[in-house]
Amino acid sequence: MNDAVETKDSDKSLEHGSHESSDLLHIIEHAAHYLPAQGPITVFIHHNTLHAFEDLQFNEAVEIGGELFGTEPYLSEEQYREELRRGRIRFSELCEELERDLGPRGHEPIGHFGSRFKLRLAMLEYPHRQGSTSGLLWLVAEDKLLKRVRSEISESMRQHFVADTRRWVMRDLRAIRENAAGPGTTKATEALLEILGRFGESRIETWTSETWEGFGLQGLWRLCCLGVREVPPFTSPPPRLVRHSDLLREVTGVDSDERVHEILIRFCAAFLDQGLASWRLPHRDEGFFQAFCSLYRRPAFPRISWLQRLGVELSRLQDSGVSPLESIEESLEVLGVERHERSRFFSATMLALRGWAGMIRETELRGDRVVNPSPPGSLVEFVAVRLLLDRFALEECAERTIGYTGPLNQLRDRLRAQYEPDWPPSLEARAFQVFQVAQVMGRSLEDLYNLGHDEWKDFVEEIESFTEVDRRRVYHLAYERRLARQALDAISLHSRSSTSPAGPAAFQALFCIDDREESLRRHLEEVAPESMTFGTAGFFAVAVYYKGIKDAHFVPLCPVAIRPQHWVTEEFRESGDRLSERESRSRRAIGQALHRFHKGSRSLTAGALLATAVGVLASIPLIARTLFPRSTAQLRRFAGRFVEAPKPTRLRLKQDQTPSDVYTEGYSLDEMTKIAEKVLREIGLSSDFANLIFVIGHGSTSINNPHESAYDCGACGGSSGGPNARAFAQILNDPAVRSNLQLRGLAIPERTRFVGGVHDTSSDSIAFYDLDELPDSLQSEFEAAQEKFEIALARNAHERCRRFSSAALDLVPARAREHVEGRSEDLAQARPELGHATNALAIVGRRERSRGLFLDRRAFLISYDPTSDDEECRLLTGILEAVFPVCGGINLEYYFSRVGNSIWGAGTKLPHNITSLIGVMNGPSSDLRTGLPWQMVEIHEPVRLLFVVETTAAKMLAIMNRVDTIGKLCRNGWVQLAVMDPDGERIELFERGSFRPYKVRASTLPHAATSIDWYRGWREDLEFAGIVGR
Amino acid sequence: MPWLERVLPLLGTVVVLAPMALTAILGLAALLRIPLGEAKTTRILEVGTICGLAAAILVLVGMLVGGSRHVTIEVGNWVLIPLHYHFSVKFVFDRLSVPFAILSFVLTGTIGTFASRYLHREPGFNRFFVLYTIFLLGMVLTSLAGTIETLFAGWELVGLSSALLVAFYQERPSPPRNGLWVWSVYRVSDAALLLAAVVLHHLTGEGDLDRLLGAGNWPYQHAAIAPNLALSVGLLLLLAAAGKSALVPFCGWLPRAMEGPTPSSAIFYGALSVHLGAYLLLRVSPLIDCSSWLAGAIVVVGLSTAVLAYLASLVQTDIKSALSFSSLTQVGIIVAEVGVGFRYLALAHIVGHACLRTLQFLRAPTLLHDYHKIENAIGERLPSGQTPLWSRLISPTLRTSLYRMALDHGHLDACLKEWVVRPVVRVLHACDATERRWTDLLSGEESRESDHVKLHYGMIDEQS
Repeated sequence: MNDAVETKDSDKSLEHGSHESSDLLHIIEHAAHYLPAQGPITVFIHHNTLHAFEDLQFNEAVEIGGELFGTEPYLSEEQYREELRRGRIRFSELCEELERDLGPRGHEPIGHFGSRFKLRLAMLEYPHRQGSTSGLLWLVAEDKLLKRVRSEISESMRQHFVADTRRWVMRDLRAIRENAAGPGTTKATEALLEILGRFGESRIETWTSETWEGFGLQGLWRLCCLGVREVPPFTSPPPRLVRHSDLLREVTGVDSDERVHEILIRFCAAFLDQGLASWRLPHRDEGFFQAFCSLYRRPAFPRISWLQRLGVELSRLQDSGVSPLESIEESLEVLGVERHERSRFFSATMLALRGWAGMIRETELRGDRVVNPSPPGSLVEFVAVRLLLDRFALEECAERTIGYTGPLNQLRDRLRAQYEPDWPPSLEARAFQVFQVAQVMGRSLEDLYNLGHDEWKDFVEEIESFTEVDRRRVYHLAYERRLARQALDAISLHSRSSTSPAGPAAFQALFCIDDREESLRRHLEEVAPESMTFGTAGFFAVAVYYKGIKDAHFVPLCPVAIRPQHWVTEEFRESGDRLSERESRSRRAIGQALHRFHKGSRSLTAGALLATAVGVLASIPLIARTLFPRSTAQLRRFAGRFVEAPKPTRLRLKQDQTPSDVYTEGYSLDEMTKIAEKVLREIGLSSDFANLIFVIGHGSTSINNPHESAYDCGACGGSSGGPNARAFAQILNDPAVRSNLQLRGLAIPERTRFVGGVHDTSSDSIAFYDLDELPDSLQSEFEAAQEKFEIALARNAHERCRRFSSAALDLVPARAREHVEGRSEDLAQARPELGHATNALAIVGRRERSRGLFLDRRAFLISYDPTSDDEECRLLTGILEAVFPVCGGINLEYYFSRVGNSIWGAGTKLPHNITSLIGVMNGPSSDLRTGLPWQMVEIHEPVRLLFVVETTAAKMLAIMNRVDTIGKLCRNGWVQLAVMDPDGERIELFERGSFRPYKVRASTLPHAATSIDWYRGWREDLEFAGIVGR
Repeated sequence: MPWLERVLPLLGTVVVLAPMALTAILGLAALLRIPLGEAKTTRILEVGTICGLAAAILVLVGMLVGGSRHVTIEVGNWVLIPLHYHFSVKFVFDRLSVPFAILSFVLTGTIGTFASRYLHREPGFNRFFVLYTIFLLGMVLTSLAGTIETLFAGWELVGLSSALLVAFYQERPSPPRNGLWVWSVYRVSDAALLLAAVVLHHLTGEGDLDRLLGAGNWPYQHAAIAPNLALSVGLLLLLAAAGKSALVPFCGWLPRAMEGPTPSSAIFYGALSVHLGAYLLLRVSPLIDCSSWLAGAIVVVGLSTAVLAYLASLVQTDIKSALSFSSLTQVGIIVAEVGVGFRYLALAHIVGHACLRTLQFLRAPTLLHDYHKIENAIGERLPSGQTPLWSRLISPTLRTSLYRMALDHGHLDACLKEWVVRPVVRVLHACDATERRWTDLLSGEESRESDHVKLHYGMIDEQS
C-alpha cells in the first residue's frame, strides 16, 4: 500500500474505480479485526480480547495492542513491586527472568557501572519515577530529592555517598580548580564550583553531614543535566497522529468527536435496538446509511450550522444515490487521507467508537444470535456515516478554535505546525532518570565527573532503552514464573503420594471442567472418599438448540465455535395434560399482565393512573427486597410453589421423523451412541461403573446483573448447562444406546443409572433431574449420595466465602451457604459470585494425579486417560481442540480485563446502563462497554494459563504440529504449556520452542487434614497443598 | 392534650436534627480524615435515618391524634429589624410537609441500605455517603421549610450534592461535564428562587411563607395578594421549579444525571429531587388561586413537559434514559394537576410515583432478566419496537422529524445552547472587549500583561 502516488485522472476510469472500491473494502475489513468481538451481553462468550493478534508473540501483541488501544499491557510497575515486597514475586526469580531476557548481552559492561544486568536490576528494584518537568518539580520539592538521598537506599550507602563526596571535594575538586583556573575550565567544574560557592565554601570544614549530602546531590543533579545534554534521546517518538480530530484535540483541547459521538451513539443504539424502545427507528430496514440520511437530512432545529450543512450533504447523497462506499471515497478525498495511510486511518477511525462498531460487526456476522440482525455491509455504512459526521464537526471545531476555514485536506498540516508532542522529553525529565539510577547504584560525584562523552552516551542509552514497558515485562515473567513453579512442584510432588480409592466406587460424578467445580469436586471426594469425579467440557458433547417447557425460544447450548445441528425440546411426560394447558394459559396471562404493567407504568395516562393508585404499594417490594433480600426471595419461592406444582417432564431426544437437510429434531440412535462413547472414552470411564453416576452441568443465577451470562457455563455458550447434563444422562440410560455401547466394548451394568443435575455456582445448590425414573432399589443409595452432595456444597460455599470481604472469616459452612444464597438474590449485590477470577491452571489428565491436591479453585480439571488413547492421541487431540479455545479464552479475557480494565474491560459496573438489550454503557451515553467489569476481575491475578497435560513431549509436539490453533497459542506464548509423564512424575516445560525437563525445587508439599484446615482464616491466594484426610 | 403540644415540637426538632447530625458526623470525619469504614458508616446512617423517620411518623400520629394540623418550630431570627424586616429560620409541619418528609426518609433510607452494599469496596464509598447525607438534609429542610430562606438553604444543598453525585466518576470526562450541566441549570433555578425571595421580602418585609400565603392550614389558605404581584412572584417560582424538576425547557439535564452509580441516579433524579419543583408549587399553591394567568402558565408548562417527555420516552434505547423520561412524563402531569388545583391528588401522585419509580430504577440492571422471564411466560418474543398507532395518522416525513426530535430530547438542549448560552456568552465577550479597549486607551499601551505570560513552573534547581 505504499504506492501513494496516484494521479487523479486514473481514479475516474471505471475499471480502476471498482478495483479501488474492493481495495477499500479490504482495508476496512482488515481494520475491523481490531474491533472487540463481543456479541450481545445476554449470551456472554469469553474470548481472547486480542484475538486479532494471535499471530504475534504474546508480549509483542500486548505491547502493540496496549499502544493501539491506549491502555496497559501488564500490571503497573508499582503493583509488581508491591508483589515483590510481599513475596509473591521472588527476587531470585526476577534476576533469572532478567538474565533470560538479556541473554549474553547481560554480561556486557556499561562504562564503569558494572554489567548491563546490574544496571537493569537496579532499575527494576527501585521505583523509577518519570514525569513532565512540572511534575518533577513538584516531586523534588515534596520529597526533598535535592536535599536527601533517595529514601529507598540503605543508610550505609547514604554514608558512603556523603563520605565520598566530602573526600573528593576536599582533596580533588579544589585541586582541580587550582590547576585549571581560567578559561579552560569545563562546564562541569564551573557548575560544581558555583554550587560550592552557594553552600558557603569558606566554612567548608564545619559542614554537617546533611550539608554534604545536599551538596553532593545538587552536584550530582547538575552533572546529570550536563551529561544528558550532550546525547540524543534514545526513546522512540510517539506514533504520528493520523486522525484529524485527534490532532485537533491535542492542539486545541477541543474534541470534535464529542459532537460526533453524541449523535452517532444515539443513532447506533436506535439502529441496534433489540426491542427496548417502543418506537422503532424509521427506515431501519433500508440499512444504516439510508436510515441515517433519512433522519438527518432535514434541516436542524434550531439552526445549528454544521448540522445544517450535514443535512444538505445527506440530501445530495441520498437523492443522487451515492453508495456508502463511494461516500467513503469522497470523504477520504475531502479529508486528504493519502493511500498509504488509509489502513491506519481506518483502524483509528473505527477504534474511536469501538464498542458500537464492534457490535454492528458482530450482529452483521452472527445474525442468528439476535432478534434484529444488522444487514450485510452495515459496518461499511457505519464508517461512511462516521466520516461524514467527522467532516462537518471538524469544520465547525476548526473554525471555532483556530479560526481555520480552509479545506479539510490541509487541516492536518496546519495543526501539525502547531502541535507540540511530548517528545523528545525535556532535559530535566531525562536527567532525572540518570540522577535516580546513579544514586541507587551508589555512584559518587567523582564517578560522574570523570565520565567521558562516550561513557555518558552508553550510560544514558542503557537507561533510556530499558523502558517502563520492558521493566514491566520482566516483572510479569517473574510473577508468572512463581506461580508456575508452585503449581508444577505441587503436581510433581503430589503424584509421588497420590492414591486412588481402593475397591469399587460408591458413586461417580461427571462435572464441567470449570475452575469453579474444582473445589466442589475436592470437597465431595473429602466427604465421600469412596466416590470418583471426572471433568469434561460442560456441554457433554450434546450440542443442541434447546427449548425448555417454560422457554419462549431455542437457545444454542454448546461452545460458540460449533453451530448445533440438532433441536431438543422439553415436554410433559403425559402429553395433552389438561392441567398443564391451564397452567401455561395462566402463565401466559400473568406474563402479559406483567408486560402491560412494565409498559403502562412508563406511558402517559396509564402511568398516571398506576402511579397514583398503586404506586405506594411499590414501596413494599422496594423495602422488603432491599432490607431483607433472602427472606423475600424465600417468600417468593414459597408463593410460586402454589401457583405451579412441578410436573414430570422429559427431553425429547429421539428422532421421530427422518432428518431434514439442515437441522434435525432430536438424535438418531447412532448419534446418541457416539456421544456416549466419545465422552466415556475421553474421561477414561470404561469399566468399574458405579451404581449411580451423576452428570452435573452448571449455571449461575443472580439478579440486577447485566453480566449474568458471563457467569454461566462457557462450554454451553454462556447459558446454563443443566439441559446438556440431563440429555447426556438420558442418553446413557437408554437401553438401546447401552446395548450399542456394549457392542463397542463399553459394558455398562444394567443396574447402573445416570442422574443429571445442575449446579448453581452462585447459590451453591444442585437440582437433580428425572428422579421419578430412578428405580426404588437405588433410592437409598441416591439419598446417601445426595446427603454427601449437600455437605460438599455447604463446604464449597464456605471456601468461596473466604474471598468475599463482606462474609466473616469465622462463618460455619451452613451459614456460608445462607450467605451465598443471599448474594444471588440480592438486588444490591454487585458480586453475586466471583466467576472465573484467579483461574491460572488447566490440568489434562487422570484425576488420580491431582486428587487430594488443594488447587484453590484455580484449575480447570479435564479428565483424560492416556492409557486408553491410541498412538496418534486422537482422544487427546479432540479434547485439546475443545478445551484450548474455551479455557484460553476465559483466561485471556480475565487477563486483559484485569490489566486494562478501563479499556479492555468494562470498568466498574455501578454506573452501567443497559442499552438496546444488547450491551451496557456508562451512564446515558458512552461507547458500548465490552469485556468484564471490575467487580469480576478485582481479585484476579493476571497470568497466562498454564496447561499441564498428561502425555509425552513428543506426542504433544505432534499435536501442536497437527492442529494449528493449539500450536499457535503455545508457540506464541498465549498459554504456558507443560507435559507430565503418564508413567512417572517427570515434568517437561515448553519454553522458547521446545520442551525442557523441569527441575522440581521444593522438597516437600505442605499438608493438611482437610481443605478447611488449609484455607481457614485466609482471604488471599493460597499455596497448593496435599489434603491427606483424617 | 397540652403535653402533646409540648412534645410535638420536640419530635419535630429531632426530624430536622437527625439528618443534620448525620451530615456533621460523616462530613467532619471526612474533613478530619478519620476513616470510618463501611460497616460503621452504614450503622451511623441506619441509626440517623431511623431516628428521623420515627420522629416524623410520631409527629404524624401526634397530629392525627391531637387534631392539630399545623405545628411550627421557630428556631429564631438571623436578622431582626423590628417592624421592618426579619430573616427567620422556621419549620412547618402540616398536611403537605409531613408526608413529603416521611417519603424522603423512607426512600433515602432504603437507597442508603442498598448503596451500602452496592458500593462495597468502591474507592468513592465515603464521598458518596457524605454527599448522600447532604442530600438527605437538603430534602428534609426543603420539605419542612416555613420561610423561603430556609427553603432556599435546603434547595441549595440538594442542588450541590446532586451535581457532585452526577460527577461521581471524576476520572472520566463525561460525568463532570454532565455534572456541570446539571449544576448550571440548577443555578438558573436557584437564581429565580432567590429573586422570588427578594420580591417577597419587598412585599411583606419577611420571608415567612404563611405571611405570603395567608392564614389557615395548607391547602385551605387564602393569599391576600394582588393578581399581578402573584403572577410575577409565581412566574419566578415556576422558573425555579422548572429547573429543579426538569420541566420545559430544562428537560435535557435529567438523562444526563444518569452518570452516577445506579442508586444515586435512582433516588436523586429519578424519584426524589425531580419532584422538588412540583413540591415547591404545591407549597405556594394558594398563590396560584390569585392569578388565573399563573395557573394557566403552570398547566401549559406541565402538559408540554408531559407530552414531550412521553414522546422522548418512546424512542429511548437505554433503560435509564427511558425511565427518566417516563418519570418526567409523570412529573409534568403532577405539575399540571397543581396548576388546575388538584392538590391532594398531586400529593398522592408524587408519593406513589416516587415509590414506583425508585423500585424501577433500582431494578434497571435486571432488565434483561425480566424481559427473558416475561418472554418465557408469554411463550414468544416480545414485540420489538413498532411504530405507534397514532403516528400513522401523520405524514411519514413529519413522523421522521418527530422521531428525530424525540431522539434528540426535544432539541431543548440545543435551543438553550443556541438561544440562551450563546447570546449571553457573546454579550460577556463584548463587555470584556469594551473593557479592554478602555483600559488600553487609558493606560496608553496594552494593559493586560497576563495575556503574554506563559505558564512557568520554575527550575528544579531552585527547589534546593
